Amino acid sequence: MTTVASDPFTMWHPVASAHDVPHRHVYHGQLLGRELAVWRADDDYVNVWENRCLHRGVRLSIGSNDGTELRCQYHGWRYANRSAGCTYIPAHPADAPARTICNRTFPSVERYGLVWSGEEPVGEPPTIELLEAGTPFGLRNLPVHAPAELAIRHLQGHRFLPSGRLGAGPAASAGMSVEWADEYSVALTATDADTDNGSAGSASTAVFFVQPVDSGRSVIRAVLAETPAASEQLAVLRHHATELNGLVARIEAEAALLPAPEPMVPVLQQVPLHLAEVPEAPSGRQAALRVQVRRKWETAAGVAAFELAPIEGVLPTFQPGAHIDVHLPNGLVRQYSITNGPGETSYYRLGVKLEPDSTGGSVCLHKTVREGDVLAISEPRNNFPLRRDSMRTILLAGGIGITPLLAMAQALDRMSLPFELHCFAQSAEHTAFSDVLDGLGESVVRHLGLPPDETVAEIRRLVAAPDEFTHVYVCGPGPMLEAARREAADAGWPDDHVHFEYFKNTTEIDDSSTFEVALARSALTVTVPSGSTILEVLRESGVPLPSSCEQGACGTCVATVLEGEPDHQDVYLNDSDHEAGDRIMTCVSRALSDRLVLDL
Amino acid sequence: MIKLYDYVLSVNCYKQRLMMSILDVEYETVPVDFFPGWEHKGEEFRKINPLGHIPVIDDDGYILWDAHAILVYLAAKYDPSGRWYPTGDPGLLGETASWMLFAEGTTNTASAARLCVNLGYDFDLEACQAGAHRLFRVLDEHLWFREREGRSWVCSGEHPTIADIALFPDVVLSEEGGISRLDYPALRRWTDRVKRIPGFEGMPGIFPASRGIEV
Repeated sequence: MTTVASDPFTMWHPVASAHDVPHRHVYHGQLLGRELAVWRADDDYVNVWENRCLHRGVRLSIGSNDGTELRCQYHGWRYANRSAGCTYIPAHPADAPARTICNRTFPSVERYGLVWSGEEPVGEPPTIELLEAGTPFGLRNLPVHAPAELAIRHLQGHRFLPSGRLGAGPAASAGMSVEWADEYSVALTATDADTDNGSAGSASTAVFFVQPVDSGRSVIRAVLAETPAASEQLAVLRHHATELNGLVARIEAEAALLPAPEPMVPVLQQVPLHLAEVPEAPSGRQAALRVQVRRKWETAAGVAAFELAPIEGVLPTFQPGAHIDVHLPNGLVRQYSITNGPGETSYYRLGVKLEPDSTGGSVCLHKTVREGDVLAISEPRNNFPLRRDSMRTILLAGGIGITPLLAMAQALDRMSLPFELHCFAQSAEHTAFSDVLDGLGESVVRHLGLPPDETVAEIRRLVAAPDEFTHVYVCGPGPMLEAARREAADAGWPDDHVHFEYFKNTTEIDDSSTFEVALARSALTVTVPSGSTILEVLRESGVPLPSSCEQGACGTCVATVLEGEPDHQDVYLNDSDHEAGDRIMTCVSRALSDRLVLDL
Repeated sequence: MIKLYDYVLSVNCYKQRLMMSILDVEYETVPVDFFPGWEHKGEEFRKINPLGHIPVIDDDGYILWDAHAILVYLAAKYDPSGRWYPTGDPGLLGETASWMLFAEGTTNTASAARLCVNLGYDFDLEACQAGAHRLFRVLDEHLWFREREGRSWVCSGEHPTIADIALFPDVVLSEEGGISRLDYPALRRWTDRVKRIPGFEGMPGIFPASRGIEV
């Protein structure tokens, strides 16, 4: 290491030691005046976040780490491993949190038994040859109420005994040499004065890193270059703790004589521009992300599973029920649900059933797309959000309709919320993601090989007793959804307790009408002729609208209706929504009245 | 049934509720208007405890006061395994007694600071806070070495003792008295472990821990 006066805000610093961040714990840290919440997820990724919940600024270090997400203690907002995106807001159980709600994260790298991070660190954490070549062994950290520079100055005169020579005498008898010293680290080698040869154990090197916690506080994090024999480790740790305690007392005694420096005032993150301004509405089908097919395998007969990993950076946060658009090499765009459980944030896992009579989406994914291929995908979008405030949740999955429900089941399981996942499939071989289902234990009920009439009878039995504390989610082929919709209505379920996700809209679209659409906010009136959709006409007029499936199934292109009577042709909205007439799917639905006024 | 003369925000009363909850002992509480009524200082209450402080328990006519003494009694009487108050192991018993005395120190500093801040007691707040930091530094180092020894608790046994129960509330509520635990990571990890003891019960100001990893 070289001594160059550098900006501490662009440097890497240790912010925690590996033993500070066991699983299911949140470490309370601080660097350069800024408080940090540091936590290790079950996949061993160490998250370094600003220590304040976006919502009310409460410290996240008092939150709970459930292995995949950090939950704020104040209002229960949950944030995902890696991305720090908000996955759930209990006060708005019916809605999916906006993708843009994301805590501030800092980079994190584990090296030499330390977690390294920084405000805006450049490059990689330092490579230290001494430790690369050795077998690093972490010592006890010590907080010091003194500025880093004072700690560094005292550390250069620090003394300790070589690991193998603890009985050789007082630490003062050791021969000490300084390997290097710079602004935030000192490396010292201790040699046994009584040893005239270089026998093993007669010399030990330790690197002392000083973490600038604040202007007047630091933490000394020490690493021995060589791990002592197991039988000696405790004694070595005690020796260093004793010597460092003495050093800290001397540092603090000197610091007490100096005027106390002003505490550092960290710059809290400004509300990012994209949140402060009205965002530019995305138009059309967005393919903002590039991912690589990390793994492709057959998860059931005729069902291919894909793990899509980011080419760089971190994937955006998803919530259970979310889907992505996949832009295929053959030019088609298809929607697939993310099946991941909470915390599985380093990839999106999809399940795709081969539909030989389809228009080419599933065939392309099955036959053409291979491991290693790069695909363009949209950011996740959740039009099928899961409420987590009901006493019980019933999930009904038909065939490949398991995909969004699998994500929901894992989220409910992780939060210990009662649920049943009913999987209807042709046979065990046709059940996708059996391994994940097995992990969910007795909450999963398999209904295999039922003919259509028995499937309907079983659904009737499952939804026989409506209650206001239960929500039902259904995903599967059209006839199954229609049956579930009918049976639930007959049993007396309110519409807003039964949620559907359609693969596609099989309604025959009647686009023969001609009508006028007025846009209240844009002060624009257009005519939608027969054969064109509202979405198409608005786009041609320069009004951007997001869309995804463009067949009335996914809910992305929704608009609010202020006046006029919609001619609903979608399957996304339920009967009550259709009756209310205050929302419309602009990709397929039209107007029964001569004119519609939309809130656009 | 045991009667606990109780005030919900008192750490010393909470120690008893926590112990009885963990030992699954049935009890009823007799609320004492500690603040703002100062009922424990009144003539009526002094007939129960002439010292005028809570907690006090009445176990079928057997009256006992002093938080840490009650813990000794409860564990000795209601823990058939003999692990919470390890009378069968002189070494461990000695350690337990030693850390119970240490807990008198954390009560008189950390919890006293909390009384200053929350209830306006006229103690020397800065002295209480400085005293708590001195003790927390010692306890943090002690617990750090316990972890290195493969142990989780204040005493050297495999099982927690009443010393953990006596110390826990003073530590976990310290921030209410203006005593940050930023410098004591081992102490913070130990509070997670206490929260995961089966039968654990909280009090206002104490947040639950997440589920631990099942081994």
